Amino acid sequence: MCWSLKELIAPEPVQKQPVVAWGSAGSGGKEGAKIPDLSSEGWSSSQKNPLDVYENLGTPQGLWTGGEMANPVPSACCVVLAAVVVVYAQRHSQQDSHTQYERVGADVTMKCGSMDWDAAVTWTVNGTDIDESHLNGSYLILKNVDLSQSGQYACYEGSSWHLKYQTALKVGTPPREPVLMCRSNNYPKGFYCSWHLPTPTYIPNIFNISVIHGTKEMVCEKDAVPKNRCHIRYLQLFSTVKYKVTLTVTNALGKNYTTVTFDEFAIVKPDPPESVVAKPVPNNPRRLEVSWQNPSSWPDPESFPLKFFLRYRPLILDQWQHVELSDGTSHTITDAYAGKEYIIQVAAKDNDIGTWSDWSVAVHATPWTEEPKHLTTEAQITETTSASTSSFMAPPTTKICDKGAVVGSGAVAVCWTAGLVVAAYSVLFI
Amino acid sequence: MAGADSPSAALRRRDLCARGIRLAGKMRSDVVDLLDAYVERQGLDASVSVAAVEGVPLAAVERWDEQTGTQRLLENLAAYRAFRGLLAQMLEEQQEQLGEADTALGQALAAVLLQVSAFAYHLEELLQLESRGPPSDEEDGPPPRPQGIFEQKLRGLGVLRELAQWAVRSARDLRQLAKPGPGTGLAPSPAESP
Repeated sequence: MCWSLKELIAPEPVQKQPVVAWGSAGSGGKEGAKIPDLSSEGWSSSQKNPLDVYENLGTPQGLWTGGEMANPVPSACCVVLAAVVVVYAQRHSQQDSHTQYERVGADVTMKCGSMDWDAAVTWTVNGTDIDESHLNGSYLILKNVDLSQSGQYACYEGSSWHLKYQTALKVGTPPREPVLMCRSNNYPKGFYCSWHLPTPTYIPNIFNISVIHGTKEMVCEKDAVPKNRCHIRYLQLFSTVKYKVTLTVTNALGKNYTTVTFDEFAIVKPDPPESVVAKPVPNNPRRLEVSWQNPSSWPDPESFPLKFFLRYRPLILDQWQHVELSDGTSHTITDAYAGKEYIIQVAAKDNDIGTWSDWSVAVHATPWTEEPKHLTTEAQITETTSASTSSFMAPPTTKICDKGAVVGSGAVAVCWTAGLVVAAYSVLFI
Repeated sequence: MAGADSPSAALRRRDLCARGIRLAGKMRSDVVDLLDAYVERQGLDASVSVAAVEGVPLAAVERWDEQTGTQRLLENLAAYRAFRGLLAQMLEEQQEQLGEADTALGQALAAVLLQVSAFAYHLEELLQLESRGPPSDEEDGPPPRPQGIFEQKLRGLGVLRELAQWAVRSARDLRQLAKPGPGTGLAPSPAESP
């Protein structure tokens, strides 16, 4: 939008012109937008903003009326500023703002307010002029709209550039059937339900949940975090009557819902055990000591004890070993492969009802191994050989015989013995 | 009879509770298996809703955590005595309906009836340990029998479902009872007092 300086300079004294001050564009209305303080420049606030309909557009926040200008240079600046403001005010004065929701793929026709079909108008989207090829008379035609065409559309009268109509077009989709899940990880206190949409709609959605137990409607209290979750307190325990939970999702383009039905026991699923620790057992090369804690969300493990499932495997193998434990929060693995690093996880389940938790965070541990001994002299090799028969592991620094280091037949015999010992350990590890 | 708060009574109670918990667990497992067999043999739909039937004790309870130990024992005992009568009737009905054609179902029903009777006896023993003994097993007569065969089958389904719930509830009740200290509704022994 361009105008000449002559047009900008108002013929009347500035104090007689309404002057509008506004916050930054797109400031979102009352919140955040600051009215420039013009009082130091001779302006004073005269009345409250009559343009509240533009809250969402961050448009003018207040009206200021001008005072007399003493200095000619600032006067000229102020005149220019005033003219700009007047034009802006006229463009945004007294027009309704709309929000329009349309489905992806729809054909959209926008009328320029009350303007006749054959009126000369200019349409803009997000401040940019729209090519006339999209116009049918004064109507804006958008065919097969897609998400990128969401934006702020405005229509101006041809010659005066008066704003005649504006709307926020939001392209989206009606909601698909939501996904709803209910679970009790804090039995017997209550359960929670959480939900999400399988695909986004790109426009605002409202979710409504109802929980019915027999003939009684129960309150599902929304959680602050996350927002797509609410929780219900059990009013009864040990009931055979099922719970029926219905979630309805609504947006401007449609509605959908889903229902789940379950009994009290079926949804009980604790959180995984916490603080899983695995440690080697000194002087026991095939043992690992594992301990863990009940999940902190489980309110009364004494009255509602958990049982546990432990799984472990060496990193080099794919197959897990499993152990089910009906009580206690520790277990000693006694069949670990010596020297191999293990991965270990634990899951929990109520002793009587429900399903297993997810696996805990994995922990790694390697069974205890004997300290390696350094072999640098013939005497040390001899000592190692005689000690090796009582040890599982060959010291990692055990050297294979080096021909260059061999002196005499006695040394050859020792080398063969050491080699046999190393071979024996290799067989044990396979 | 040892006083309710004597060390021997406390040990006896703990022992009875532990055995009762194991019995309740075994009973529940057997009832769940029986339920599956019953649904299949009687040609019922497992998902069918059965309204509360007169005489079938409901396991559902409000404010379960606020019950005293004595309340728990009395409610459990009343329930299992009722189940004893109901299962005996179901056994008769099953023999009338299926006769010798299905002895397996009959045997399973009889086995569960035996466990229910044993559990009721267990509860009576626990109540004996209290200052009050168990209430007399007044015979009010057998529960009213449904008229039609289909109604009998539906009631049977309801009985087994509620019995499965009771078995879980009983194990929880006994764990509460086995806890030392106040809150069980039973007087703690001097040895257990803090």
